[in-house]
Amino acid sequence: MADIKIKNLHKEFGTGDDKVVALEDVNLDISGHSFVSIVGPSGCGKSTLLNILTGIETPTSGTVDITSDGRVAAPGYVFQAARLLPWRTVTDNLLFVQEDRSSETKQRCQRYLEMVQLGDKGDKFPGELSGGMQQRVGIARAFCIEPDVLFMDEPFSHLDAITARALRRELHHMWAETKKMVVFVTHDVGEAVELSNRILVFAKGGRLTDDIGVELPFPRDPSDDEVAVAKAHVLRKFEELDLLAS
Amino acid sequence: MTTTETPRRNDVSASTAMSSAPNPLAVAVRIVKSPHFARLLFPVFLFAVWHITLAAVEQVWPFAVDVLPTPGEVGAFMWDEFITDTLARKNLYETFYISLRRLMSGFAIAMVLGTALGLAMGLSRATNAFCHDWTMAILAMPALAWALFNSIIFGFDDRGPILTVILAGIPFVIVNVREGVRNTPRELFDMARSFKVPQSRIIRHVLVPSLLPFMFAAARYCFSIGWKGLVIAEVFGGQDGAGWTIKFWYDAHRAHGVVGYAAFFVIFAILFERLVFEPISRRAFRWRPQLQTEVVEEAFTENQDLQDQERPVR
Repeated sequence: MADIKIKNLHKEFGTGDDKVVALEDVNLDISGHSFVSIVGPSGCGKSTLLNILTGIETPTSGTVDITSDGRVAAPGYVFQAARLLPWRTVTDNLLFVQEDRSSETKQRCQRYLEMVQLGDKGDKFPGELSGGMQQRVGIARAFCIEPDVLFMDEPFSHLDAITARALRRELHHMWAETKKMVVFVTHDVGEAVELSNRILVFAKGGRLTDDIGVELPFPRDPSDDEVAVAKAHVLRKFEELDLLAS
Repeated sequence: MTTTETPRRNDVSASTAMSSAPNPLAVAVRIVKSPHFARLLFPVFLFAVWHITLAAVEQVWPFAVDVLPTPGEVGAFMWDEFITDTLARKNLYETFYISLRRLMSGFAIAMVLGTALGLAMGLSRATNAFCHDWTMAILAMPALAWALFNSIIFGFDDRGPILTVILAGIPFVIVNVREGVRNTPRELFDMARSFKVPQSRIIRHVLVPSLLPFMFAAARYCFSIGWKGLVIAEVFGGQDGAGWTIKFWYDAHRAHGVVGYAAFFVIFAILFERLVFEPISRRAFRWRPQLQTEVVEEAFTENQDLQDQERPVR
């Protein structure tokens, strides 16, 4: 099981008058089979936090430890845009991030493609697929390296509502089936409530202002009363923090 | 879940096959309207214009017949050349072999040097600042000036024409490769790095394919500009080759020879484009199913703009 420990994390961009504080003194522990959503308005540092967790950026100060059973955890990523190599087939895109191209690896890639219902699209190029299908390839790519923890940065924000809803359901199934930890960045509170068992609310200036547990049974239907109430509760927190004004 | 697929062009053939008894008139109309027919019609149209113009000019100036070649004369000349019955020192095949050898030497050197310089200029601002002005200067210099200059320096051997090809072609290679490096898809590099993909695999599967459309544009420009530069260089500084032979027919006052040989030159360039560049391009860019090969370069930059918009804003 994966463990994320963040201690006194601080991140600044620029110097002098141009200095912008992206994250301010963030302390956080995430462990086990959790689905954690990070929500907040634009510019609250949620993408920066994810970039630090994924190693694309380094913190100004503080520490981040991502471990799994005492060793360094293997991470997987799903980006806002699918970020597939347009000149490689779907299968080759999955193999690109693998350590080897053995027959077991190929079988595993095929299994995850089937899990996102693209089992027959392995020979297609990304340009031949719709946006939703491309994003599913991105999800399969992240799962098929069998990571300990999965980072997702607003993966459904570019998709139409119906496709996004279908993919949220698929993602939930995969999370439940594979028992991975997922850290999910979104600006959609409804999406966060539908998917997660824990929601972290960030405010402008990169402060972690709230840590909300969501104890509702899965699968959650957005039109369900309890889900709607939970969503309203999180939105109220936003209002209290004056996040909606920004 | 959406399952929108790109429509298949072949579906059209299925629907036409269904009409079992074709009306001859409808078939004729379809043939006339087809782009292939329009293409074939062009040479017919050209020869007609040629003939009519010649006849009109002869009405006012009877000596035109001594200077202006008829399509028949040019055709007969080209056929004689084709079967190696020529008055020139070397036959058509020897001549084109010589020119092609020079072109390929210059082309290869221009591609290698231009790629190296373009990479350096794309990666380093200082190198770009240092090289930018002289690249533009070489770009602005007419091939004719290089041809004259090189023939003065090197006399009548291979070096003059080869150097002219290099100088005519290299700025296009430099500029294209530099733009390719500047347009490398950063978000794909970030993706590869976050998945801890080894550097060698990133170079092979991300960097090289993203540069390929620009390299291809570079090669096409370098080839066609170099080919034109070569002929000019051979006119002034050669004792054989296609350019020299055009000059030979000019000196012999044979207009049909000049026109015929220039036609061989054009045919060669078109054949090379069709038989070499197009098949390679189709194969290298088969991941862009919806696009024609002619517009790949522009299309790539459009895709790039889209990907730029998707970069996370911090």
